[in-house]
Amino acid sequence: MIISRISRFLSDYDNLVAAYAVLVIAVAVIGIVLIPGLVYEEEQLYPKQIDRASSLDPYDRGGEAFGRAEVAAQYPENSPYLGYVTAYLTPLARLMADETLHLGTTIVSHPGGIIDEILYNTRGLDTVAETSILFAAFAIAAYLFTRRD
Amino acid sequence: MFSLPTGQIGGRELFVVEFGDVVNYFSPYTASLFAFALIFTVIVIISRPERMVEIAFGGDAYLAKEIPTKDLAFQRFMAIACGLATLAAVVSGDLFNFALFTSMVGITNIGIVAAVRSRHVLNAAYQYGIVAMVATLPLFGAAAITLATTGSLSLWELYRAGITVPFVAKAFLVLGVMGEGMAPFYVAKAEITRAPGAPYILMIHVSSLLVFLRVVEIALSM
Repeated sequence: MIISRISRFLSDYDNLVAAYAVLVIAVAVIGIVLIPGLVYEEEQLYPKQIDRASSLDPYDRGGEAFGRAEVAAQYPENSPYLGYVTAYLTPLARLMADETLHLGTTIVSHPGGIIDEILYNTRGLDTVAETSILFAAFAIAAYLFTRRD
Repeated sequence: MFSLPTGQIGGRELFVVEFGDVVNYFSPYTASLFAFALIFTVIVIISRPERMVEIAFGGDAYLAKEIPTKDLAFQRFMAIACGLATLAAVVSGDLFNFALFTSMVGITNIGIVAAVRSRHVLNAAYQYGIVAMVATLPLFGAAAITLATTGSLSLWELYRAGITVPFVAKAFLVLGVMGEGMAPFYVAKAEITRAPGAPYILMIHVSSLLVFLRVVEIALSM
């Protein structure tokens, strides 16, 4: 009865998106109801200060070239060069950062514009995975575009 | 310094692979998933594809389906990429990293079926693709909620007894993996696996099953 009706609904793959959407909506409604129970943790692993006056805003994590910046990491012993990556700017990038407000953060000052510590050092594997996803997606798109039929 | 809190369903860690803050671990549970994914990836790399023969019912006629080499090469490439993403996902020690590799499994799954030419397979793959794309929202939403409420993403921290991950984050995580891998919904996948190209097409099944087994471990341990 009800089971055979559900199974008949599910056996058509055109209903797949609808079935998944119902599940997502159900969990989202439960989540909205439970929002008052969610408490923001004040001790975040990756803290962020926004300093609008800084020329490297919003990527500024402080520090001098060849010196250390104070960067938080979950496992500092796994990142021996923690703090050196984000502090370093090439002379050209340093010039742009000193002379203008935002140019030091842009692609213009690359190579060696500000390199985010968390993106490229402590959580570098995430960045590798993200690029791999993009590459796979581009490969599929290119294949579909060039296939003839 | 690295030791998984005891009482995990995955067992104690055997050894760890450190990528900065992302510390992957091999426990008996994840190591067996890893070994299974590795074996299947090797099979995909070395094996030659099947040649499907359809027999006309009630007669002695049969027809062999020829698949162009170009399509097979792309299917194999995507199947290997899917196997590598599965390898990384089943041993990942970080929630965001796990979500990333799971979404890569979803995208490469679509890539595997994209090379098939029959119409009903592509129709099923289209529906499946929509679900896989939508599923990234609950998947990464789960990681975001977890980071906001616990302040960390590392599974080593989240497995500790004092840290409670909200129920809705776990539910979103399982829901996201369900959408990416389609492990419990075999509706579209039954259509997809009728497509020719055996070892590559089966990678869709293997990857989603392994990732689903892994998310069960994560959701129960958190």
